[in-house]
Amino acid sequence: MRVGIPHAGNIYIPLRTIFKELGTELVVPPPSTRRTLDLGVRYAPEGTCLPFKLTLGNLIEACELGADSVLQAGGIGICRLSYYAKVQKQILHDLGYDIEMLTFDVSQNKLVGLLQLIKRVSNNSPWSKIISAFHFGLAKLAALDNIEKVIHKVRAVELEKGTANKIFKESIKAIDELSEHAALKKITTEYIEKLGQMAKDDRADPLKVGIIGEIFVVLDPFSNMDLEVELGKLGVEVKRSLFFSQWTKFSLFLNSLGIDEWKRVHKAAMPYLKRDVGGDGWESVGEKVLHAKEYDGIIHVAPFTCMPETVAQNIMPSTKEDIPVLTILCDEQMAKPGMLTRLEAFVDLLKFRRRRPKLTSGTRGNRENLSWH
Amino acid sequence: MTTRVGIPRALLYYQYYPMWQAFFEEFGVETAISPPTTKDIVTSGCSRTVAETCLPVKIFCGHVLSLADKCDYMFIPVIRSMGKNAYNCSKLLGLPDITKAVIPESPPILDIEIDANKSKYSLYRAIYSLGRHFTKNPLRIEKATKKAWKIYLAYRQKMSSEGLMPTQITDKMCDKRHQVDLAENDSPPLLNIAVIGHPYLIYDDYINHRLITQVQAMGAKVLTPEMVSEQALDAAMTSLVGNPRWTYEADVVGAGGYYLQTKVDGIIGLAAFACGPDSMMMNIIQRRARQLKAPFLYLTLDEHTAEGGMLTRLEAFLDMVKRRKRGQSCA
Repeated sequence: MRVGIPHAGNIYIPLRTIFKELGTELVVPPPSTRRTLDLGVRYAPEGTCLPFKLTLGNLIEACELGADSVLQAGGIGICRLSYYAKVQKQILHDLGYDIEMLTFDVSQNKLVGLLQLIKRVSNNSPWSKIISAFHFGLAKLAALDNIEKVIHKVRAVELEKGTANKIFKESIKAIDELSEHAALKKITTEYIEKLGQMAKDDRADPLKVGIIGEIFVVLDPFSNMDLEVELGKLGVEVKRSLFFSQWTKFSLFLNSLGIDEWKRVHKAAMPYLKRDVGGDGWESVGEKVLHAKEYDGIIHVAPFTCMPETVAQNIMPSTKEDIPVLTILCDEQMAKPGMLTRLEAFVDLLKFRRRRPKLTSGTRGNRENLSWH
Repeated sequence: MTTRVGIPRALLYYQYYPMWQAFFEEFGVETAISPPTTKDIVTSGCSRTVAETCLPVKIFCGHVLSLADKCDYMFIPVIRSMGKNAYNCSKLLGLPDITKAVIPESPPILDIEIDANKSKYSLYRAIYSLGRHFTKNPLRIEKATKKAWKIYLAYRQKMSSEGLMPTQITDKMCDKRHQVDLAENDSPPLLNIAVIGHPYLIYDDYINHRLITQVQAMGAKVLTPEMVSEQALDAAMTSLVGNPRWTYEADVVGAGGYYLQTKVDGIIGLAAFACGPDSMMMNIIQRRARQLKAPFLYLTLDEHTAEGGMLTRLEAFLDMVKRRKRGQSCA
């Protein structure tokens, strides 16, 4: 079996590890490029969202490399994700790729379903082997996210811009290639120390900007046009609570024990949005409310026509908790210069606001909710 | 003075108005319906919501605005789910909260949540919490609910057995002035054209530029999803996509599948720009129609859609269908 996967940030690293340990061939398509997106746009229904188009492009490129089955997330839910697999399978069939669609259910029976899926594609490997491979994969994901959390802080204050990114890229490569579980911890600490020893501006008190929104575009740098890197260049510290490792930790394990990482966020959203609207819409509203005092500003990232985030976008300006919000909608029409101009303007606004805090307390309401289009 | 509950003439109105009306009537509560969509309603709705919101929700907000000072409560139920594991679109789930956020001057919103995946008890509680605004007597609430449900079933039955559209029934109920005259033509129609899509697009004459009337004027009989029984819709949907994932999927996938099976002469798929579910579901029907070589016209509506452009496409489509039919009958 040659299994093709779509890209979503760094998710290919744990998958590659798991499949390698089990001896199944995984077809990782080339990193998303303009071509990937063009392929997706050409064959996807025009009204679908960016993640659909981009992952379709990835899957087509994986098929070109000879994948005979593809993996896609799915499940029961409110957002369009529940239909991705069905429609993408039809599109790939119509293009002449006779593939098998493997669906990973992200809504229910998550852990068991995923393990069973791995068992199937790995030609019935023994459970002990699957669990140790799975553990290793998740550990890599967690290590990457731990490094990224440090990167978020360092990027804003590094003296020589771009150093942190270089180290981050090195660490991704090293962790991706690592084949011994025992060495993972050492490598992670090494890179974190390396980041700690970098030349930094110690007096700087960088602006803190929260990144909220739809999980795919938040975590996929190609989709959001390296938003976090660009913010780093502008000397802004990024804060976010969405991480793949956090999702796996809670959704696969702790949620079934009754521990809900979003409880605080949902409670904060309650006065403005009373129920789950699918995707990450409820969390977006809650995070804005919750972090209004801690952060200088919030950037809300979502795919164009995203159903849950459109609800959040409508509700956010009405909250009592006041903080500037910049909504960036990602689609195939987006161009980097336009985004950079808006980021610069937003960061200038935040600097101005910090210098003259009295101007913005309360009375000005929500005039600072900016929107992309 | 009697209490007045406002019901915007948008979204779920077309499916459930007779049921809601019967329910509120039991408590002696008057229902106030917003007028049919006008340009002002669309413009005012668009001015409140963010630009990326879909057209039906923008129009809904316009209707709420037009009712805001004419009633004591605004009735905006949340239909989370009507069947196992099938959920509604995010915007319909967030509708009361969106309304509250963008229209702060709206009267208190009555929102109840209907979820078929939860227990029957939670359904009773939801309905009771709605009825409690008008009476403290649970028996009266129960009676009203039963009556309303009966009316809904009769309404659905009447549409599918007599081939009626919702507006032909509801318009008689709520507004005598606005009666669509659909007197049957004596000569048998040349073509059978199915119009599939959500009721709030098919039956809102303003946003679809009187599509149904236009198609009828071109000599075709119009068939809509409501003219098919729920069982037939479900069966067609299951054979096409398996278990549905969205609550009102039957309007699109079910109706599309059904009319493809019954071999109507052509199908017009009506979708709103930026509608999430439609972008996927219409594509499934479109692909199926292509496989069966059945004529299919996909119309996307937004607030900028001009009547002229739409008419040209309709005429071209119907001409094509007519020619095709003539060709088939010759051969």
